Amino acid sequence: MSPPYGAKRALLHFLSRRVDPELEAAFAALPNRLNDLGFDMWGFNPAEAARYYPLARSLYDYFRTEIHGVENLPAGRVLLVPNHGGQLPLDGIVIAVACLRHGAPPRLVRPMVERWFPKLPYVNEALARSGAVLGDPVNCINLLEDDQAILVFPEGIAGSGKTIRERYRLKPFGRGFMRLALRTNTPVVPVSVIGSEEAIPSVHNLAPLAKLLHMPYFPVSPFVPLLGPFAYLPLPVKFTVTFGEPMRFDGPWDDEDAAIDDKAAVVQAEVQRMVDDGLRARHSIF
Amino acid sequence: MATILITGFAGGLARRVARRLLDAGHAVVGVDYRDAPAMDGVTLYRASYDKTAIEDVFRKHAFSAVLHLGRVGNLSKQVERRFELNVLGTQKILTLCRAHGVATLVVLSTFHIYGAHPRNHTPISEQDPLRAGYDFPQIADAIQLDNMASTWVYQYPEVRVVVLRPVNVVGPTIKNSMSTLLRLPRVPYLAGFNPMMQFVHEDDLAAAVEAAMHGSARGVFNVAGSDVIPWRTALDLAELKTFPIPGSLVSLYLRTISAFPGYLVNFFKYPCVITDQEFRRTFGWQPVVGARETLRSITGATSDLG
Repeated sequence: MSPPYGAKRALLHFLSRRVDPELEAAFAALPNRLNDLGFDMWGFNPAEAARYYPLARSLYDYFRTEIHGVENLPAGRVLLVPNHGGQLPLDGIVIAVACLRHGAPPRLVRPMVERWFPKLPYVNEALARSGAVLGDPVNCINLLEDDQAILVFPEGIAGSGKTIRERYRLKPFGRGFMRLALRTNTPVVPVSVIGSEEAIPSVHNLAPLAKLLHMPYFPVSPFVPLLGPFAYLPLPVKFTVTFGEPMRFDGPWDDEDAAIDDKAAVVQAEVQRMVDDGLRARHSIF
Repeated sequence: MATILITGFAGGLARRVARRLLDAGHAVVGVDYRDAPAMDGVTLYRASYDKTAIEDVFRKHAFSAVLHLGRVGNLSKQVERRFELNVLGTQKILTLCRAHGVATLVVLSTFHIYGAHPRNHTPISEQDPLRAGYDFPQIADAIQLDNMASTWVYQYPEVRVVVLRPVNVVGPTIKNSMSTLLRLPRVPYLAGFNPMMQFVHEDDLAAAVEAAMHGSARGVFNVAGSDVIPWRTALDLAELKTFPIPGSLVSLYLRTISAFPGYLVNFFKYPCVITDQEFRRTFGWQPVVGARETLRSITGATSDLG
């Protein structure tokens, strides 16, 4: 793949040296939904994504990720709904790499990101070029109607900011994803990620500091006294990602909240069951 | 043959539209609050849109259509003056159209009123809220101009009103904020941000204005160009020299070197991508100049319109 426009920039130039033929082949195999200059309207660009994804793959390899059930991904539109935890969206990164590398055919996952991310310099661009999209119903509907794969974390910030005591206990799901699934007639694939909720352990959320820094939460690692800022580097835990059977839902998308919540709870229960199974099956967190 | 009034006649877009209308055999009258260079076949007036002088223009001619392209978008004009020209002026033109039995009024608004905001979804359609005002109240005049014209669409059905909200208009004869920025010797970009942007060539927009004038529909319509591209890709396509500027130095840069309006800075940080499907479907218009040619048209080429 030729370097994209703007590859003069130092960062992309540096990243351009990290070429991963397997990922490049996967990007080349994606259906083309791009304009003449290689972008979609959210800013995804496979040439630049192929430069960022090797970093994600390094994380995937660092966690010695094991995947199960990727053949459960249906063709066409799909909503991937995993558990969420671990302070940073490492779970999302690993799922995205898994679907691109092992999906048959390779699937580009469009993660719905928090409203906080577009404000972060550099990060916002890397995310957009790699296919991430602001978590918003209009974005989601447009992508689903275009038969793409969406990754949503219905636990939201409450999920990713969990302390270590709360690990693998799912926070209540929001109902937005279920309305979108009903509205666009999209199957929901429950996903469990084991390992992610221990990768960056937090014993406390320092809310006042988070507020001061305009962050959604500020985790306190138990290793801070020992390691200082290095305490926030992810531990080399082992990740296991399991894709469940697609779940299909019928009914009006604009039903009362309670009716939608009931359906969302069915998905939450399934993800929790898969997480519990995964935890029982593992021998060591490393 | 019809007689058509075009406002903002000192601007490049108005003259492009005039050229097209003259070629099609229409009579064109131009008006601007500034001095506008003469153009063959065009009767030219100088009048502020908010003063009584503009009334005489309507008394002297019977217009079948008015193209209100004279929105003051930028720069040197103070908020008070922009309010007078954009809000009071537009109100006067609307009233005059109604009083003089003008059949069609096309008002040029802007996509800036949607605002570039981290919470924007993609793409933005005509029904979406206008977010520009809550970070940058300086843009209130543009929002009010648009609201006023949009209200008229249904309040006074005797005048067919079409409001156009185009993306960044770019071209060899255009002197708006974006084109001026692109003509700087070195064009800045915000370090760490590279949002998706849209550009429409002045010829495509002139064709859009003409299509809106000839059509039979009324309403508010977005007008986008061809491709959605990141800001730095746009700069690369235009083959411009660029430099990064940290967010903290932007206001200093705007006060000292560039006259680019500060209230548009967020457009270089967050996306504001609009869809013009409705306009294309309604008026059968589509852009013919691609992103590359649009951006390259900024430099070099001189006006062939005199």
